[in-house]
Amino acid sequence: MNRGLYGLEQAESDKAVVALRGAAVRHDGFALGPLDLSVPAGMVTAIVGPNGSGKSTLLRLLLGLAPCEGAAEVLGRHLSPDSDAELKERIGFVTELPHAYESHLTADEKARFASLWYPSWSWERYERLMHGFEADRTQKLGKLSKGMRRKAELAVAMAHDPELLLLDEPSSGLDPSAWKALLDELTRYMDRGDRTLIFATHITEEVRRLADYVLFMHRGRCLGLYEKDRLFEGWRVLAVQRADGTAGREDAARLLKQAPGVQGAQESGPGICRIESDAPEETEAYCLSAGYRILSSQRMELEEIMACLVRKGGCGKMNPLVIEKVFKQYGDKTAVNGLSFEVAQGGNLRAARRERRGQDDDDAHGARAHSP
Amino acid sequence: MWIPVHIDENRPEPLYHQVEVQLRSLILSGQLAEGTLLPSIREFAADLRCSAITVRRVYQDLENEGLLRTRQGTGTFVAGIDQSARDEFRLERVVEAFERAVETGLQLQCSREEMERIWRDAYARKRAEADGDKGGQR
Repeated sequence: MNRGLYGLEQAESDKAVVALRGAAVRHDGFALGPLDLSVPAGMVTAIVGPNGSGKSTLLRLLLGLAPCEGAAEVLGRHLSPDSDAELKERIGFVTELPHAYESHLTADEKARFASLWYPSWSWERYERLMHGFEADRTQKLGKLSKGMRRKAELAVAMAHDPELLLLDEPSSGLDPSAWKALLDELTRYMDRGDRTLIFATHITEEVRRLADYVLFMHRGRCLGLYEKDRLFEGWRVLAVQRADGTAGREDAARLLKQAPGVQGAQESGPGICRIESDAPEETEAYCLSAGYRILSSQRMELEEIMACLVRKGGCGKMNPLVIEKVFKQYGDKTAVNGLSFEVAQGGNLRAARRERRGQDDDDAHGARAHSP
Repeated sequence: MWIPVHIDENRPEPLYHQVEVQLRSLILSGQLAEGTLLPSIREFAADLRCSAITVRRVYQDLENEGLLRTRQGTGTFVAGIDQSARDEFRLERVVEAFERAVETGLQLQCSREEMERIWRDAYARKRAEADGDKGGQR
């Protein structure tokens, strides 16, 4: 459970390209943050999280497009509503949805306009990117398919070789060969070591191939910034069985409660428990000492790890801005469906059954609410 | 250039360790010759699907061991390695392989005589095979 913190410390030891302190964005029906976050320079950070978790809002915040509370620094400069053009010249970005007002332009026309804006613009680089992505340059952007338009947008965003590149689901709509070309170009872009890429994605393979750090988002909160390889090393799924070949639901529940590091456990087949752990060595040692056999031990997929993190951090812990809203509506103690809520330190919203306010309740839902 | 390093994601050893052991072995066995330019940190990380942090760590470790050297602006190269280091490494690998075989033998209650006979037979058989291959090529 300290692995996330470890990742953060690592990140902070490198120079930070983004530094957020209590940064928050609120608009109708959505709250992002407050976030405390340092994104290391010279590295690739992938932002992952379910739809509506705040990935795009975070990227918009970094671009100075979403007015935010708290302190936000990008490339060593404080973001303010009148953030200078000079900062924007050093950033390249592709937003989730294309801008409608550019639909009547062709890729080349958009590029001509962008070239006036960015002093470091290179036509040679633009040509290479357009060629690599096999992008169309003659038709109006509005007439192009989603993927074809994406290719042109990416070429324009990268042609000035920005210090910081922000991409919101860059590969959305791309065919496999353009996707490969994009990964190659992004690798080349990072090669010199002084460029930084932050991108939001739903595609696990992109994270595996490109990212150095993974930032998990959920409901407007950051669930942790992890060094990718440590993350995959730190989580494993074990299949265990009792020595006599049985293991049922009771075993899963017991292991979830007692074995160190276990973040999820279930009966997965006749006599077999599948347990997810973020301290696999300790979990294994405990299982062996408790009379279980380890049938297998495997890496977990990014989605599985995310589900665990959401359960771990997301269930017990809610966005204080949301809590604030609830409390404005209901007062500082409230009851919903027989559950009463109370706010513990650090924004931990604990749901406890009225009649039996014990720790067992959280465990009974298969989610242990550790406070980090 | 593509380096034949294979990561086994289900092994418990950390990634950097797996990459480091294999790269060291490629260098010490002479499969990567002195002066070979290695891929950039970023390229290698993309090939291996690991983070640049891991590759950077491997390059740094092997540079500290004197197996690699980095020239600013040009890249990371395989350093010159003296013959004694290579010989030592060659023998170390054989010793490791024998130790594993002896371990298996002990686990299966083989006697010393049995193991010695197995070794002699295996040596004779492999030797004959190798000679046969050479004969066939001629």
